[in-house]
Amino acid sequence: MSANELTVESLLRAHAPHAPEGLRARVLEGAPVAQTRLGLPPRRLALVALPVACGLGVAAALVHGVVRSGDHANSSAQGGAGVAASVTTAESLHSFDSARAAVKQHGSASSAAAGALAIASSRLAHTDASLQIRVGDTDALSAATTRATRIATSLGGYAKSVQYSSPQTGGGAATIDLRVPAQNVKVAIARLSGLGTIVSQQLSVADLQDRFKTQSAQIAQLHRRVAALLKAIADSSLPEAQRVLLRIQLAEAKRAVAQRTNARQGTLAAGATARIELVIGTEKAIVPVSHRGRLDRMLHSAVGFLALEAMIALYVLIVVSPLALAAALVWLWRRRSVDRLLAA
Amino acid sequence: MNAASTPLDAPALGARPGFAEVAAEQLDAVYRYLVYLTGDRGAAEDLAAETFEKAFRSWRRFDPRRGSPRTWLCKIARSVAIDWFRAETRRRKREDRYARDLSASEDFGDGLPGPLQEALHALSPAEREVVALRVLLELDGPSAARVLGISQTACSTRLSRALRRLEERMDDVRE
Repeated sequence: MSANELTVESLLRAHAPHAPEGLRARVLEGAPVAQTRLGLPPRRLALVALPVACGLGVAAALVHGVVRSGDHANSSAQGGAGVAASVTTAESLHSFDSARAAVKQHGSASSAAAGALAIASSRLAHTDASLQIRVGDTDALSAATTRATRIATSLGGYAKSVQYSSPQTGGGAATIDLRVPAQNVKVAIARLSGLGTIVSQQLSVADLQDRFKTQSAQIAQLHRRVAALLKAIADSSLPEAQRVLLRIQLAEAKRAVAQRTNARQGTLAAGATARIELVIGTEKAIVPVSHRGRLDRMLHSAVGFLALEAMIALYVLIVVSPLALAAALVWLWRRRSVDRLLAA
Repeated sequence: MNAASTPLDAPALGARPGFAEVAAEQLDAVYRYLVYLTGDRGAAEDLAAETFEKAFRSWRRFDPRRGSPRTWLCKIARSVAIDWFRAETRRRKREDRYARDLSASEDFGDGLPGPLQEALHALSPAEREVVALRVLLELDGPSAARVLGISQTACSTRLSRALRRLEERMDDVRE
């Protein structure tokens, strides 16, 4: 630095302006003596929040995995809470004494899943089952398909739909949607299981008793209301205007009775009939599903949940990126405009 | 209060001064910076008051571990001044005055020699502000660069150029 620059700097410092007293009074008047700072600055908060959010995401995935892996082993055999239950072949053998008892009773491993249907017979329930069965060749496939529909018919049910395919390259599969009376579902599953080698089975039982009770109670209450309205309308001393109003309410009540009655009939129908989805395939068409242990299922569910979280994060990033780019461009433009302002 | 006696170093780690204490210490420095940046003492006074108002509102976000109160206040002052520049530009455009017309009696410093006064007038606001930050307020290179939002190299270059122009201008005036 030159001697002249030193002179300039020393001159500037020596003659630096001071804040006028009026300004000093104005500023210091408004300044508090002490002020405590609460919380972390935004950047530190972000540095803390980010790992915490990631940790929460992983924890949520693990919890999801644990819960999902446990669901496969649950069964509301007593049907007390009206919750749907699912049973797969492997878990039914290990999880439920009733299932084992049923296996001994029926004397067949293939009916283990059927034996897990231990909902009390006095309760209304809807059963959904799905079976995957492997047969040797297309001839066996054709025979098994025919026998499956006959089994349903013999038990008082029917085949709602049948899809059959047998390509030239060999192999083939048939998907049959069966309906059987609820009281015969165990027998149906046991007989259908004998059509070939079981690849997988799934059962779910939804208790409908509570819903039925609620609907019945609503219908009874509506009947009482209708009776009360009829009695009120029959009163000769009632003013005409009021009579008209009561008639309108009576019509509404009767309509509600009809609606609730239909709904209850639907519930009864659902409870009276079980649905069985049967998939029969040849060796080429059906690949056995490997049964996983609990830890394996938990990890599988957790990874799936993490993948879902990653997808959501990616989606958010894609949506936010154009906005971030626009914000960056605006910032750059403002920066340039400041430079131009101060360079004038 | 003399700038040289004003403490510049960041407080001890974790220590956080009170706002009133900081305001009393740094008022002169902020005012000087704004006088040099705007070239207008009246405006500098108003802008200094506004700066401390904003600083008071955001005082809880100030982290003494990341910089000195002076640097932080200068950043706020700069932002306030830029808004003022924008408003002035719009006002002058409306009034059809495109040339920046500084009053001849505008003082950058009490008792500053005339040639130096004129030389300062000839500098742009950007050049004056870097002189104010580095020379008057004695901010170090990194702090000044942070206030200006530029790199340290750019800050040093700007300062050298400003001082050279001041010197050249003073020589011209003397001649």
